[in-house]
Amino acid sequence: MSQTIKVDTLIKTFQVPEREAGLKAAVGSLFKRKYREVEAVKKISFGIDAGEIVGFLGPNGAGKTTTLKMLAGLLFPTSGQIDVLGYEPQRREKELLRQITIVMGQRNQLMWDIPALDSFELQRAIYQIPEGEFRRMRDELIDLLNMGDLVKKPVRNLSLGERMKAEFISALLHRPKVLFLDEPTIGLDVTAQRLIREFVAAYNQRYQASVMLTSHYMADVQALCKRVIVIHHGQLLYDGGLAGLVEKFAAYKTIGVTLNDPDLDLSEYGEIISNSKGQVNLRVPKSATAQITTRLLNEVAISDLTIEDPAIDSIIEQVFQQEAQVV
Amino acid sequence: MVYLRLFWIFLRVSVISEFQYRVNFFVQLFQSALALGTGLVAMSLVFSYTQNLAGWTQPELLAVMGVHIIVGGLIKTVIQPNMNRLIEDIQEGTLDFALTKPADAQAIISVREFRIWQLIDLVLGSVVLGYAISQLSTSLGWLSALAFAAAVLLGGLMIYSVWLMLSVGAFWIIRADNFLEIFDSLYQAGRWPVSIYPGWLKHTLTFVLPIAFAVTLPAETLARQLNGQNLLFALGLTVLLLVVSRLFWRFGLRHYTGASA
Repeated sequence: MSQTIKVDTLIKTFQVPEREAGLKAAVGSLFKRKYREVEAVKKISFGIDAGEIVGFLGPNGAGKTTTLKMLAGLLFPTSGQIDVLGYEPQRREKELLRQITIVMGQRNQLMWDIPALDSFELQRAIYQIPEGEFRRMRDELIDLLNMGDLVKKPVRNLSLGERMKAEFISALLHRPKVLFLDEPTIGLDVTAQRLIREFVAAYNQRYQASVMLTSHYMADVQALCKRVIVIHHGQLLYDGGLAGLVEKFAAYKTIGVTLNDPDLDLSEYGEIISNSKGQVNLRVPKSATAQITTRLLNEVAISDLTIEDPAIDSIIEQVFQQEAQVV
Repeated sequence: MVYLRLFWIFLRVSVISEFQYRVNFFVQLFQSALALGTGLVAMSLVFSYTQNLAGWTQPELLAVMGVHIIVGGLIKTVIQPNMNRLIEDIQEGTLDFALTKPADAQAIISVREFRIWQLIDLVLGSVVLGYAISQLSTSLGWLSALAFAAAVLLGGLMIYSVWLMLSVGAFWIIRADNFLEIFDSLYQAGRWPVSIYPGWLKHTLTFVLPIAFAVTLPAETLARQLNGQNLLFALGLTVLLLVVSRLFWRFGLRHYTGASA
């Protein structure tokens, strides 16, 4: 499969004014400013195939948005190469911009006072989409997202979820091949989140588009991304399958046992996470899982036993608590 | 062609959204009438003491006032709302959307907003100007009318360029709103012909903020004599300002980092 996005040793440094607290320093900085260099992205390399959905993970300030913005041509890289569909994004060539889109959960581009349907016309003019193609795509997207007549209501009268759906329609009318989604489900209720997720999956299937997704909701990532890229402090921590991430970073497993005698104390086997009426969940170090399981089976009267990986959220959290080490 | 179409669609969309706030029409009408009234009172006060002001007769000054209202209306209809939106977008990071569109970003950010109710000033200003002309002894040929339209257009483009450069300042100084207030108060000075002011202010109003070209010159082409040399100079300055502001815009873009990067 062909790669749509190629990133090679990408670096971005920002000059940030440095200022000490206090009035004197504030007045002083009016005349003479000291600058400090902050490396937001440090030598990141990766590639993304056509039709692939990749989760882009990292805590706030890890460099996710900076990287996405460089990929979309909004920021100039300090050094390194980016190739999106054969173009250098920072040159902002129309041929490239016509094939990409950016959706930000926290920022809207639809006009507030008018129906989304009228804003779509603006998109059509800007992207110069032929009338017939535009109508077909618009109606298809409205249908996929179940928007119906909602597109005829002024955007300000829509719920948050409906507004986000309309944003998606507007952002995809030109049938982009590369989608940058920055927290697209933020603040939405569970139902709306699921709908957006299903929609992204459907669009990706139908048009073989590449999708880069950042999200704080692991449910989004688990539902959509087979592959994740994890960055922390501007460095690449992990690039690979979601399952592999669990394998690599989960230091613990959870053993669930159902006891014949509910009053039995299992704390000598591992850390008890929960205990209700003989249903006990134990947290044990991954390397000791086999040994502890054998001991439990031999030493305790048990009617059922399960071994599970911890929830992906807690793994991610754990990863971010570690200091960055290059893999 | 594409950009003309874009302009038209943005205009259409703005009209749709403006019509949702019809009350604004009446508020604007009241505001404009009030401004016109105070302007006229001030002028009649001046002329109760003297018959001419630095060589300008009352009808001539009235013409300047009319043009001042017309140009001010154009600024408030197109230039000001778009530039305010630009600064807002820079502050909030929503400029990203305009910058990822396959069209010239400067063109997009310049024609996104229209405050159509501000066009009331265009009507009011035209009435004042029309009355002023009827009081003048000179008769108007189509040539002066054409020159007048050209002068207003050039003046508008100059003000747009200067305003764009000030707004682009928001790439570095996030709170660029303050600049624009300075502009607003200086524009008020344009109600009187620029030649009545002392040297330093006259030069500021001519070359730094080209209000002399946007207001006094068009009024002059109508009320006095068409001065081809001045008009040609205005054309040159407009081209220069357009080029410089475009370069500055592109330079600013390189420094754009977007809010909460």
